[in-house]
Amino acid sequence: MTANSLSRTLERPGVFKYLLIAPAVFVILLIGLYPLIKLAVTSFQDISMFGADYSFNGAKHYVRLFGDSRLWESLLHTVLFTAVALPIELVLGYLLALLFLERLPGKSFFVAIILLPTIISPIVAGSTWRLMIDQRFGPVNQILSWIAGREVELLWNIQTYLVWPAIMIAEVWQWTPFMFLMLYAALSNVDKEQLEAAQIDGASWWMTFRRIVLPAIMPVMVIAMLIRALDLFRIFDIIWTMTQGGPGTMTETISIYAYNIAFREFETSYSAAIAFLVIFILTLVVVWLLRRVEVER
Amino acid sequence: MLFKLTRRKALAITSAAALSVSAGGAFAQSAADRAVEAAKQYSGITLNVFYEAGLQPLDPKNFTGPLWEELTGIKINVIESPNDEMFTKTMQAHLGGSGAYDVLNVLPSQMPDLALAGALEPLDAFVDKFGYRDELNSIAPVYRDNQMMVEDTIYGLPDDGDVFVLYYRRDIFEDPETMAEFKAKHGYDLAAPTTWKEFGEIGQFITDKHAPEIYGAGMFRQPGAAKYLFEERFRVEGGRFFDPETMRATVNSEAGLRTMQGMVAENAWMPPGVEQWGFGEVFSAFLAGDIAMAVSWPPVGRWAAGYGKGTEALNWIPETTVADTIAYALPPGGKPELAAGFSLSVASGSKHKEAAFLFAMWMNSEEISLQRVQLPYALRDPFRPSHFASEEYRSKWPSAGEYLDILEAGAQTGMLDLSLIQIDRYNEALRQGLSRLWAGDDPQAVLDEVAANWDALTDRIGVEKQRRVYADWASKPNAYPE
Repeated sequence: MTANSLSRTLERPGVFKYLLIAPAVFVILLIGLYPLIKLAVTSFQDISMFGADYSFNGAKHYVRLFGDSRLWESLLHTVLFTAVALPIELVLGYLLALLFLERLPGKSFFVAIILLPTIISPIVAGSTWRLMIDQRFGPVNQILSWIAGREVELLWNIQTYLVWPAIMIAEVWQWTPFMFLMLYAALSNVDKEQLEAAQIDGASWWMTFRRIVLPAIMPVMVIAMLIRALDLFRIFDIIWTMTQGGPGTMTETISIYAYNIAFREFETSYSAAIAFLVIFILTLVVVWLLRRVEVER
Repeated sequence: MLFKLTRRKALAITSAAALSVSAGGAFAQSAADRAVEAAKQYSGITLNVFYEAGLQPLDPKNFTGPLWEELTGIKINVIESPNDEMFTKTMQAHLGGSGAYDVLNVLPSQMPDLALAGALEPLDAFVDKFGYRDELNSIAPVYRDNQMMVEDTIYGLPDDGDVFVLYYRRDIFEDPETMAEFKAKHGYDLAAPTTWKEFGEIGQFITDKHAPEIYGAGMFRQPGAAKYLFEERFRVEGGRFFDPETMRATVNSEAGLRTMQGMVAENAWMPPGVEQWGFGEVFSAFLAGDIAMAVSWPPVGRWAAGYGKGTEALNWIPETTVADTIAYALPPGGKPELAAGFSLSVASGSKHKEAAFLFAMWMNSEEISLQRVQLPYALRDPFRPSHFASEEYRSKWPSAGEYLDILEAGAQTGMLDLSLIQIDRYNEALRQGLSRLWAGDDPQAVLDEVAANWDALTDRIGVEKQRRVYADWASKPNAYPE
């Protein structure tokens, strides 16, 4: 191509802008699309710890997914955990945000303190909570003993009725501040004049919330919920450090199961199929949620 | 204070090595000296050595690493990992072709998996080239014969005499009033239990008499460690893991049920929360004087006796209150589990295989290993008859001789960890079963599920393939008690 023809090509309408974004698109394809394609290819091969058959092996790993009861149990655990933890974090985050909307002495200091858990690595948070609930050395049982006035011996990561609550407490402790931060920012931007008008018109708290506050904070709230829902669906670190998925497989989530298959059992192709299942489910959820947001608008 | 390597100490060690020329050997120098001489050609390189995180790597960091560098010019870079991730990381490095490690610490039960996957370098050629076979033969037979080879090929140098020991308190067991009361109640003398039935009776008796100040015992119940106790006791109870003909799991037999029921029953008289206890909880409770008996790995016996007191690396260990009263015995049944252990291997992806072998050989040699097993902070336990007999070691604390005698006895009667193709997956099924057991599930249901999981694994791996590996393992003298 001569300099003139290159110049003519660049002068065509629309070409230059594509050239500008081309490097970014290339990078996205490289780090996003390539691994996805590689994952898809691997899921149709037969690679494990003891051998690698790179030829096309059909959809046998996808067929196996359907008969893998442990996989579906772990998926159920994940969905239920997400369904319970997300509303708790949302409500607590909202209540905290409401509290901090008021004029409070030392507000900035307390906001900073509340946000601290979110900057801790989840694996550190999980390890810390494991120590907190330790029967022998942990302060949780000691504090409960003082309150109860007798020895409290709760085996938080052993007893079946306590193990999920223990994980839930750690998760909510760490990520409610994120919800608080997002909702605090959203609530700060609610039109004060509308709120005052509603008050003058005698609107109830519920009506004000439903007709003015909720629509105003909805876009931020949906994004915050989406981020947290995706995180909760992929939860690994906190549960891994607290229970490693036990007792038995009682707290095994889809990420922990996939990790076990991929990096403890080295069933690489099957774990790729599991990863694709997760990607498929998450894509459905995200598309559905984004469409809902569009409809709301 | 950490064990600091001084030039004088280094000279003393190398001089000792130089003096101890192997009698009758074809090589004039000791194995340690030969390794050093041969390794000098690699001066300037760095060897990446893979170790279990925690105290284990203090040996190459503080002692062998600096000494090796001084002697050969080869640097040692220690890479650590939690024990339960070592297999994963070794395999990841191998499958990824990263060449991340040169020298590997390998759990012997995982050696067949790693060797068959091609992650380990066969060592026979190196062993012969550097004349190390004689010194390998002087490793205690139970480790040498079982933790070194896969299908007649050497893949690792047995380097750690892990074995379970029963620790108990003489002041309680030899208290005249307690002894008389116990005899009146049970009709036999109070002594270290030789059966699990006695263990239960003695433990219950001490708990009844002394709790909550002192409980009868505290045992491993965290599934990762409890698995070893289950494997040991199951076999002492007469259990077999598989039917050798069909390869169907028989872990859910009467012996399995007795074992699990016994373990659950003991929890009732052990300290509250024992279901969560692992290595740290057991030894800290024993050192604090909270329990009268404990079964654990050898370092507990050293630390409880006060060995290493004042060592900086051991500052986290609680002050021992039982230094003068600790006594040692084989666990009930007299067939202790050779739980875990380590062999030194060379990664097949290493770019410096010969240098890696030479470092492993040097560390593992008679002279250097004797120094290493005496490091107060390191977790390497005696694994050569010369270690058990060492006058230097036997004088480290008043009951050190008794301690070493028990380790030696354990090394003769100890039982191997189950080793199969993809053993980690079988272990995982057992670990999950144990965690369900502590959560209150029915022992028979737990065992049935473990057996079903094992059968499914065997079917997936291939019955015939697994039968050969199991038959090989089961034919070893230390696989089953009889």
